[in-house]
Amino acid sequence: MRNKKGIKFYLVLYLAKMSRIALKIVGRDATYFPGKLAVTLCPDFLGRIEKPKTIIGVTGTNGKTTVCNMIEDTLRENGYDFIDNHLGSNINSGLASTLIEGANLKGKQKKELAVFEIDERSAVKVYPYITPTYLVCTNLFRDSLRRNAHTEFISQMLNDYIPKQTKLILNGDDLIVSNLAKENARVYFGIDKLPTDTDKCENIVCDMVSCPVCGGKLAYDFVRYNHIGRAHCTKCDFCSPKIDYEVNHIDLENMKMQLRNGESYDLINNNIINIYNMLATIAVLKEMGLSQEKINQSLRKQKIVDTRFSKEKVGNIEVITHLSKGMNPIACSRVFDYVRKEKGNKAVFILLDDLHDAAHSSENIAWQYDTDYEFLNDESIKQILIAGARYLDGIVRLQMAGIPKEKIVAKREELSLVESLQLEGIEKVFILHDLYAISLKNKIKQQVVEKIKGEEAK
Amino acid sequence: MSLETKMKSTLDLNLEDFCEWKNQEKQENTFHKPEKEIIIESLFPEYCGYFGDGQNMKYLQKCIPEATFINTPLEDIPYFAEHDVDLLYMGTMTEHTQERVIQKLLAYQERIKQMIEKGVHFLLTGNSIEIFSQYIEKEKGEKIPGLGIFPIYAKRDMMHRHNSLFVGKYEDIQIVGFRSQFTFAYGENAHCYFAKVEKGIGLNPQSTLEGIKMNNCIATYLLGPICILNPDFTRKLLQELGIEKPTLAFEEDVEKAYKQRLKEFENL
Ligand SMILES: [Zn+2]
Repeated sequence: MRNKKGIKFYLVLYLAKMSRIALKIVGRDATYFPGKLAVTLCPDFLGRIEKPKTIIGVTGTNGKTTVCNMIEDTLRENGYDFIDNHLGSNINSGLASTLIEGANLKGKQKKELAVFEIDERSAVKVYPYITPTYLVCTNLFRDSLRRNAHTEFISQMLNDYIPKQTKLILNGDDLIVSNLAKENARVYFGIDKLPTDTDKCENIVCDMVSCPVCGGKLAYDFVRYNHIGRAHCTKCDFCSPKIDYEVNHIDLENMKMQLRNGESYDLINNNIINIYNMLATIAVLKEMGLSQEKINQSLRKQKIVDTRFSKEKVGNIEVITHLSKGMNPIACSRVFDYVRKEKGNKAVFILLDDLHDAAHSSENIAWQYDTDYEFLNDESIKQILIAGARYLDGIVRLQMAGIPKEKIVAKREELSLVESLQLEGIEKVFILHDLYAISLKNKIKQQVVEKIKGEEAK
Repeated sequence: MSLETKMKSTLDLNLEDFCEWKNQEKQENTFHKPEKEIIIESLFPEYCGYFGDGQNMKYLQKCIPEATFINTPLEDIPYFAEHDVDLLYMGTMTEHTQERVIQKLLAYQERIKQMIEKGVHFLLTGNSIEIFSQYIEKEKGEKIPGLGIFPIYAKRDMMHRHNSLFVGKYEDIQIVGFRSQFTFAYGENAHCYFAKVEKGIGLNPQSTLEGIKMNNCIATYLLGPICILNPDFTRKLLQELGIEKPTLAFEEDVEKAYKQRLKEFENL
């Protein structure tokens, strides 16, 4: 759907631009309102405004922001000039804000390249108007059940709306993603079988159990987690795709990964989800024509932003904070799996309650039972400290996972948790927190650091 | 397939942990052992356990480890087709799966009707209620016929998802729960409802009666781990299954969480 501009468009563009200037003058956030205003006054505004010649879109349940950050940092360092929505929202109004900012008063884009994080649930409001040149899809998992329902709903929506001209950069180890928009040109990225892979799903959730072609039962050649892995149909010839950008060796000791084509890249993080994020970034940048040298030179210097992951050694104890999005069962399960597999004895803080619901409603906790709290039932995890509005549900969920009650500290007040932290024999303290609990995480981290220092001074 | 192999092939993967735990529990819980073995069948848990629904039967396993739990995959013949069961459970699934499950169960339509008439216990959560309805109507009017057992039908609108909290009265028990769905149901359930709405909605926003109860067959749009969220309900269910004085798993903690939620919901 492409629309001519017309007087209404220019009027809305000027209004939106003026609102942006006004907001900036009074020191307010100008990343949301101008776009919201534009799509409210002119619902097909996204179709009318000119777009940069090349658009890289990044969508999927988990990893969108990290992949966008990596793409943007690499492009910037290699001299590319582009617009992006990293400060604004990833829905239609956020994209509109970015395009308004990037356009001159004639509605012409000043830059030729855009990097857009695109919410997968917003496909219906975005793709009728924006045709990404490349669209990366990181993965599709169950997310907020209230908003995103389930992966069948989201993948159907993407199938219905992804423009036919868009080249897809898909996670070939995700059988839901690899089957998106079958008519589109595509390349796949993936990681060959790892020693840690299994032959059966260890997770509560596996959303890909039957063949998308004939409905027959899928047999997994290996499972990495949930429906991530490689599989084939037991009744027809459907199977996981051949991977174009395939990692065939990961060397965690030297923090390097090797691709089947012989290229080697430095790892910036040892978590498998971030290795996938790096691989998605490499695949799209290679498709754009960047060389391995240019990509690796830049990627190797990057780090996962502090609000998502941080590590600090305090005396003999490592304090690690890790984003773990509440209401997102697979994101939390990945983090729980990461924690249990890290070496050493650990204490784990869990701060995943939805703060908005805690203040205004009562959170639907069904997602906790799609989440693998069972991974926290591990010999190396000595204490689990859980707090927030749903702390009573937390005690039950942890016991359902088989965790002995003696290991659990549960309190309503988050800031009273640290007094119960037992540091004896502990080598790592993990603070797992929701996206909207950054300041809470910082306060708790501060308390933990002080407690460690205090005990070491004794 | 023998019952034993069926259980081995389909029980969750922490079978060893579960058996160990089961043995410990067996010793502690012998006092409420029922006179005959309780058999509980979960239908198609690999497809019908969305949004935590799958954990309802895991919780019952923890409450009554002496019972036999059968997980029947979609491609197998259901155990209930040829044997008696005490409780049949099915949870939330995707819309595409609904069509496959209806196709599967149509072959057992008469058997299911007889079981309901005989007073066999059913627990159907989330959109599995629609499998037993007259039909599911899609956005453009296309109707997917259901098993035709419940006097209701559902209308689906994939562009609008309804989310709400629920408090309702099931006999003398206050039920709490969550709704999250693309459909509303219509029809007459005044003589066969599950719970009277106190907060939230019934079959649809205009309805004050939630779900269906026909003899011992309970079907509710509430989804998630409702057996964990509702200790009074679960206790009653276990009593009806023949356990005189049921002890719930983590009873004290489950009770506290229930009371907190009920209070929160009532204050909203
Ligand atoms: Zn097949």
